[in-house]
Amino acid sequence: MSELKQHDVAFTVNGKAETLSVSPRTSLADALRDTLGLTGTHIGCEHGVCGACTVLLDGKPVRSCLLFAVQAEGAAITTIEGIGDAQSPHPLQRAFNECHGLHCGFCTPGMIVTLSAFLKEHPQPTSADVREAISGNLCMCTGYQNIVRSALRAAELIEGAKP
Amino acid sequence: MSVKTTVSDTGPWVGQPLPRREDARLTAGAGTFTDDIRMPGMLHAAFLRSPHAHARIVKINAEKARALKGVHAVITGEDVERLTKPISTIIPFKMFLPNYCLAVDKARYVGEPVAAIAAVDRATAEDAAELIEVEYEPLPAVVDPWEAIEQPPSLVFDEIKSNVIWHDTFSYGEVDDAFARAAHVVSDRFSVQRYISTALETMGVIGKWDSSGLTLWSGDQRPGFATHALTTALQIPHSQIRLVSPDIGGGFGNKRKATYMVIVALLARAADRPVKYLEDRQENLLGLVHASNQVMDLEMALDADGKILGLKLRDVVDEGSNVINPTLHSMLKFTNMLNNYTIPAVRFEGYAVLTNKCHSGANRGIGKPFMCFVIERAVEMAAKKVGIGSLELRRRNFIPASAMPYESPMGNVYDSGDFLATLDTALKTANYDDLLKQQEEARRAGRYFGIGIATAVEPNSLNLSAYTLMTGRTDTSGVGEGALVRMEGDGSVRVSLGNTASGQGYETVVAQIVADELGIHPHRVTVAPGFDSAVNPWLHCSGSFANKFSGTDVGAIIEAARTIRGKILRIAAHLTGRKAEELTIREAAIWVHGANEPLLPLAKVAMTAYRDLLRLPEGEMPGLEARHFYVDPQSNLPAMSKDDKRLRFQLTFSNSAHIAVTEVNPDTGAVKIHRYVIAHDCGREINPMLVEGMVHGATTHGIGGALYEDLIYDKNGQMLAGSFMDYLKPTALDVPEFEVVALETPSPFTPLGAKGVGEGGSIPSLAAITNSVEDALKPLGVTLTELPLTPNKIWDAIQKARGEEKRA
Ligand code: FES
Ligand code: FES
Repeated sequence: MSELKQHDVAFTVNGKAETLSVSPRTSLADALRDTLGLTGTHIGCEHGVCGACTVLLDGKPVRSCLLFAVQAEGAAITTIEGIGDAQSPHPLQRAFNECHGLHCGFCTPGMIVTLSAFLKEHPQPTSADVREAISGNLCMCTGYQNIVRSALRAAELIEGAKP
Repeated sequence: MSVKTTVSDTGPWVGQPLPRREDARLTAGAGTFTDDIRMPGMLHAAFLRSPHAHARIVKINAEKARALKGVHAVITGEDVERLTKPISTIIPFKMFLPNYCLAVDKARYVGEPVAAIAAVDRATAEDAAELIEVEYEPLPAVVDPWEAIEQPPSLVFDEIKSNVIWHDTFSYGEVDDAFARAAHVVSDRFSVQRYISTALETMGVIGKWDSSGLTLWSGDQRPGFATHALTTALQIPHSQIRLVSPDIGGGFGNKRKATYMVIVALLARAADRPVKYLEDRQENLLGLVHASNQVMDLEMALDADGKILGLKLRDVVDEGSNVINPTLHSMLKFTNMLNNYTIPAVRFEGYAVLTNKCHSGANRGIGKPFMCFVIERAVEMAAKKVGIGSLELRRRNFIPASAMPYESPMGNVYDSGDFLATLDTALKTANYDDLLKQQEEARRAGRYFGIGIATAVEPNSLNLSAYTLMTGRTDTSGVGEGALVRMEGDGSVRVSLGNTASGQGYETVVAQIVADELGIHPHRVTVAPGFDSAVNPWLHCSGSFANKFSGTDVGAIIEAARTIRGKILRIAAHLTGRKAEELTIREAAIWVHGANEPLLPLAKVAMTAYRDLLRLPEGEMPGLEARHFYVDPQSNLPAMSKDDKRLRFQLTFSNSAHIAVTEVNPDTGAVKIHRYVIAHDCGREINPMLVEGMVHGATTHGIGGALYEDLIYDKNGQMLAGSFMDYLKPTALDVPEFEVVALETPSPFTPLGAKGVGEGGSIPSLAAITNSVEDALKPLGVTLTELPLTPNKIWDAIQKARGEEKRA
């Protein structure tokens, strides 16, 4: 069974073209983490409930644990590493720090990736909207309140940065 | 004192809501969690786990698995019995117990590891697991704890000859007299289900052998405990075991798992390669650890005015298959058994019982949430019986602020707190009178609208002398922690701790503490993330448990920092011809007290300590490094006489009052939380922003336990909640916007006046929600004694009440 035929799959990850040789049963999450070394995408359940593995596939949040890598052929993938980093943080990353939106930080990449897509579509959300948006992401540490605050603060930061 | 909400750019740093240092890497996805570590040649492990709750293992054939391409090692119980000694137990059992890292003679719960495989990748290891043939002879499963005591269908450990592994009675004060004098007695049976924190990162271990011994990488929360267990199991010198903790994706007490470490060590040795194992979520729910299901019978004696005279408690804790550290859930109840009341007499009879379920273990608060649930439910029942409001009954029984420090009959010393003020703050914040009006209106409209209140103490740090009282063990006592502070030649500082963070923000709060002690900016203090047993100072009791940071760990940090401070001042005095007592450190410089100009830069002194060795004061050792092992001065030994079982079980007491406003949908039994108000007092807050975050998180855990989470077993011992589809965690839509108000009554017993906060919210929330739901259903006269309050259970209770209404 470990003899499964390898398949080539090509997609872009955070703007960079990648061609990988993967087993058909390799999940997109494993391909990103193990083959490309992008370990910011976390795995909390591997059955589609927790949202820790969320990445953007052509701009839409998807659970990378539920997709096979081969299904992402031709797609543009964005992981947390492509959202921003310590040098040039995304407003969400700044806001999570300001509003204490994380404790252990394990859910955080999935939360930020999910919210980055959400804020594009809903630039002025209410806290109820944010709760709805992250209702498919579990956090075991924060009780969500400061994640909601962080998202609202990020919306403010994004609005403020507009010319 | 009022809590600060904005950050200033000068010290004192303790008390400021400083944003966290650790966030930059964690928000960028650049943390290093166990599964993020990769090594050349690293293999991946999978475990084959028992599908039976209780079964004799007749035969294992692993030949096909061993022959599979890509498989490097397979171990079964036979290997483990040959290569290791059983994992040591907290109860000093007299007989030999075969509790190995894999099932040896029989499997004792669904999900117990039976064999383990290391292969080139996880998928191959899992393929191999499927090829292992195990012949089981199923045995009757012990599932119900009462049955386990009274008519056990079988024995979990045949060697022990009973499923009751601990049974004892503790009496404090004149209990019989209290009940003889009582005007009212309330009695009922209460129960709580198994539930668990389910850190989002599951438990993992990487093991690697080299010429210096065994190195393990794991998000373990009790390194002293784990390495000790390994040294006995593997029979190698303790000094050859190194444990490194990377970032930990949540712990809550759950991440202590010597068995996984032993398995990984054996696989790595057999394969002669590094091996990684990481639980999948099902394995995590089935087999990491569960908080015990518990049943308690309570009798509460009160006088005619509602003063509580005494308690009789009989408690049964279902430990599952846990022989490693059972009795924890019983022991921790001694810390909040009297909650925040002056109760002069109590008798506690406790049972710890083995069943064929996952082993019990530490989880946020351990026995305390249930203990508080029982007392705060009983208080509500008692108020009805006495004919006064439950708020009034609480007020009549609170330990008054003027009595602090207050020694309880069981020997706990409540250091500080104003329970009345906490309750009143919560009521005021909730606008209680308004709430009552809203409730009246809602009830008139036929809605089931409830207001539930619970008050609680949150005990901090754990005096491990308690083991002596519980188990007769006399080789463990007190509690302490280690810290290492090193100022480099440029005046910047690095701190390493015996305790490892799993979300608590130590990289930030420890920097705040040390910055104040050494007169520098917190940005100049780096707190090493994680833990390395070869570098960090640690004791057997080191690690993250029992809310011990704010008192015990802070003690170690401050003492180490003060040692450095003293040395800096002595060197500075020597360099400037002054007396050390004339000098102080602030803004990274040495000053004469009261002077307008600094005397010399701190870095000058620091550099002298490292390189100008001949210009140091005579007898002064070079360097600015201090390692301090702190023993919490509040911890004590028990009297060791048969009739004096008093002890300071835990050492300081935070407190809180929770008010939950709920509404029950009578058609579905679903509970909606409208509002949730929390007044809490954890003494001086080191970082108020982080404190409030802890309160949110802990309370959410309690809401999950009260309403949703249930690690349910069927009557054959099959676990029915093996995924997040069946084991329901609260989502952002289930949790309300918490309204939190902090009071700050500094503790006289801790170096900064700070007290613990991590467990707090999880303790009163079970009771607050249940009191609220029962209040919502008051028109129907429903009594709630069993958790969790699932829609099913509430719907049944409603139907039953309505049926009775009709019959009446
Ligand atoms: S890991 Fe993909 S949803 Fe949980
Ligand atoms: S911060 Fe730990 S899971 Fe969300």
